[in-house]
Amino acid sequence: MTLLLGALTLGLILSLLAMGVYVSFRIFSIPDITTDGSITLGAAVAAVLLVGGTSPILATGAGALAGAAAGALAGVIHTRFKINALLAGILVMTALYSVNLHVMGRSNVPLLQANTFATQGERLGHALFGAGPLHLLGWPVAPGDLAVLALALLAAVAAGVTLYLFFRTDVGTAMRATGDNPQMVRALGADVDRYTILGLALSNGLVALSGALLAQYQGFADAQMGIGMIVWGLASVIIGEALTGSRSLGLALAGAVLGSVLFRLLVAVALRWGLNPNDLKLITALFVFSALVLPRFLARRRGGAPAA
Amino acid sequence: MLELHGLRQTFNPGTVNEVRALQGVDVTLEEGSFVVVLGTNGSGKSTLLNAVAGSFLLDEGRIRLDGHDVTRWPEHRRARLIGRVFQNPFSGTAPGMSIAENFALAARRGRPRGLGWALAPDLMGPLRDRVAALRMGLEDRLDNAIGSLSGGQRQALTLLMATWLRPRLLLLDEHTAALDPKSADQVITLSDEVIRRDGLTTMMVTHSMAQAVAYGDRILMMHRGRVVHDFRGAEKRRLRPEDLIDRFDEIRRREQLDEGAAAMLRDLYV
Repeated sequence: MTLLLGALTLGLILSLLAMGVYVSFRIFSIPDITTDGSITLGAAVAAVLLVGGTSPILATGAGALAGAAAGALAGVIHTRFKINALLAGILVMTALYSVNLHVMGRSNVPLLQANTFATQGERLGHALFGAGPLHLLGWPVAPGDLAVLALALLAAVAAGVTLYLFFRTDVGTAMRATGDNPQMVRALGADVDRYTILGLALSNGLVALSGALLAQYQGFADAQMGIGMIVWGLASVIIGEALTGSRSLGLALAGAVLGSVLFRLLVAVALRWGLNPNDLKLITALFVFSALVLPRFLARRRGGAPAA
Repeated sequence: MLELHGLRQTFNPGTVNEVRALQGVDVTLEEGSFVVVLGTNGSGKSTLLNAVAGSFLLDEGRIRLDGHDVTRWPEHRRARLIGRVFQNPFSGTAPGMSIAENFALAARRGRPRGLGWALAPDLMGPLRDRVAALRMGLEDRLDNAIGSLSGGQRQALTLLMATWLRPRLLLLDEHTAALDPKSADQVITLSDEVIRRDGLTTMMVTHSMAQAVAYGDRILMMHRGRVVHDFRGAEKRRLRPEDLIDRFDEIRRREQLDEGAAAMLRDLYV
């Protein structure tokens, strides 16, 4: 049960990453590898502030803003300096590695003594349900874990709803159209470059928010924690699309959250069954590869069948 | 309304692919005039339209539109004054978004966009009426993705979007060339209706002589990056497609003569 709760909480926290990747990858069709750097940046900024005694909400917000700035920088490099989006992301990600080390002052910042959203959640759980284990469907559950899960759920739902509402405004609609048809957006008087920068800032802000919460949940920020995160985000988005199927905005965002949770559950089960943790990224990469290639492959087979 | 002074544009200068697309174009459009730009492939007619729209910045020349010198304005800034319909029916609409959302974007052309609700109630009412007026049965499908519609439907909607806020200048870039004959007919008729009703200053590029003769009140004939003839007033009204063909043949003959003369001179003196 603890395993399940952990996987759910982690999945919800990383659903913010998935939503960020949805914005860059599905709306702008940019595989934005800045993600790997900005998730660590969010974690690093939040961790350092938390150790210094800043309140969890402020520290988390600051982490998200730092990520948004990194995303905006990648956007500026891509649009104003006409550098390929992938390369712009690689440049910012690489630079962020040094920045993150400077922010943290070393390669790892533990949060064991700090007051974080996780410790506050646990305190909340104890206040509501007492210290003893609760029984949920016959399983013993620590009330602290349950409260932390509830907070993670709250964060994911709040971010999802806010994002959905934002994409229904004039600015948000123009942003989605920028990814869909930039020529039309220009002809209707919107600055494509500005919307791309804004979109990448939004994407990386969400990613860094995810990183800030992740650091508090796992109890440390680490310079290496961002490696491969873009691929994990992609996997979540792809699983989400398979779950909700539709291309409508609301379902896609809900799908990203569900995809992230399901992906974490699958990972937890696989690890429990004895999967070597070292193979996790290899398997995730293979999964994303096949999810990207398979539909095309199947379509070709179906299309080619009558001729054969 | 629109003044073009000495427009020159060369693409890929100094390379084997050098194209002198515009070689000194001077044109003035009066308020409310409907000008057809006619020419063969490569005559520079689409380049002229793109220069006005701001798709690229000119090598030389000045563009004045509605009292503003827009020569250095980027495309999205000029969009405040200009409505556009492209040749490719897929260019003017965002395929993954609904019909209503596409119009929400058009309803804020050249205006600041904030955090207001895109599908505002005061948009939806008039939208239903005006889409219904197209008689394509699309008014009940406003929530459908625009990518699911035919080229003709999309082009009709693009025209409606371009003129939703009254543009100071309407640019139509061979907007019926990629459609089947029936849709092309519908779209050109609709365009003419809208232009007359709102008295829009319009530049329409076409290579169809029939369209050039049937629509508009002035024809600019282009060849090799220059305006070679300007039919207006009574002359335009009397014009038949054969007259235009004769005129093109004449230009072509003169050109061959020029080349022949140049070859002769080269043989004699070089």
